[in-house]
Amino acid sequence: MEKPRPVIGPDNAFFWEGCKRRQLVFQKCKSCGHVRWPPAHVCPKCLEYDWEEIVSSGQGIIYSYVIYHFPYHPGFREELPYVVALVDLMEGPRVLTNIIECDSSALACDLPVEIVWDEEGEIPIPKFRLRKA
Amino acid sequence: MHAVGVLEAGFCRAVLITYGHSARSSDSLLKMLTSMNADEAVFGHFGAAAGYALAARRAMHEFGTGPETWKHIAISQRKWANLNPQAVTFCEPMTEEDYFNSPWVVEPFRRADNCLITDGGRAIIVTTVERARNLRHPVVSIMGMGMHNPSAEVTMATHLTGPTGAKVAGEQALRMAGITIEEIDACEIYDCFTYTVEITLQDYGFFRRGEGRDWFSEGTIAPGGRLPVNTSGGLLSEAYQMGLTPLSEAVMQLRRCCGMRQLGPETGMKKYPEIILCSDNGGILQTHACYVLRRM
Repeated sequence: MEKPRPVIGPDNAFFWEGCKRRQLVFQKCKSCGHVRWPPAHVCPKCLEYDWEEIVSSGQGIIYSYVIYHFPYHPGFREELPYVVALVDLMEGPRVLTNIIECDSSALACDLPVEIVWDEEGEIPIPKFRLRKA
Repeated sequence: MHAVGVLEAGFCRAVLITYGHSARSSDSLLKMLTSMNADEAVFGHFGAAAGYALAARRAMHEFGTGPETWKHIAISQRKWANLNPQAVTFCEPMTEEDYFNSPWVVEPFRRADNCLITDGGRAIIVTTVERARNLRHPVVSIMGMGMHNPSAEVTMATHLTGPTGAKVAGEQALRMAGITIEEIDACEIYDCFTYTVEITLQDYGFFRRGEGRDWFSEGTIAPGGRLPVNTSGGLLSEAYQMGLTPLSEAVMQLRRCCGMRQLGPETGMKKYPEIILCSDNGGILQTHACYVLRRM
């Protein structure tokens, strides 16, 4: 069975359009400068509407991570065990993602990670791997 | 809290709070979990266990909790369930070895850290003290309540390792009740996962940040312990009936109709409990309610 694909709507279209260009794009508030995630049409800090796109460096640190040992969705059965993590990007946003290309026993909170694009589906998916010091 | 509001406003004379779900014999729960959020499903992230596991993993990093703390919670609550013929796990004791042999679901959580999935139902009637006095059971009153809902999205959350909503909600409830935490005889805590019990009791102030491992290890919350917690077995070992598992157990304990697991001389306490604190939470620690109940 196939994995769930991105569901693209008016709020998150800019994000997945960025992924197609292999760019990690976020909304930056033009009024207060806050870089927000998840997508929203007003700034959660100052409630202003105007925003611009910024492209993230794709560098961050692991806030937390878990290792799935149970297939909640049949599309992920063959991936088990796999890692889901919250990554704090340098630009500010915290994103939910996967850490790949690693031995899960090497993971720890606060380790540096960098973006790596998963090209398996139609749209490249932003995932992360441990960054070498 | 809403029930008290409509009673106080005079809109009605009694409020029935019910829950029923064929969660175990149908696939409705799994369907709900896997359809929740498309942006997260892309990364294989589904449901509550992994969300709480993310919180728990960060807590391991920040204040040194982990399975060595959580095993005490799982095992202590199972001891209570073994005294409760209604509990799903009544006939299944849990040793430390059983806990560590329990398979990973979403690491750092083993199956033994997860609540049950249960078919069942539960109901509670809330009415005025005046009306309750004319009924045949002892009156259990609501001394205090509090509610606090820290944030909406896990990616924006700052509360996963505390303070969760339990801190403010607990302070509100104790203030309204006019008591201190030392006057609580027992707790019925919403225990979707073992870590939820730890972070909730920590935020209420029963022990300091990171001191849970020692606090739980003395059998503190088990039968015969200093502060009995989740005396039916809770969501982990009795039955998953949302926030009605803890709330109904508190009422029944105060009414002294709990049989073998009754707090009091039956389970090695000097006296019957008078004041029990209950909690409920939702989302990934995003919403929290606290109730202090008293036998009148």
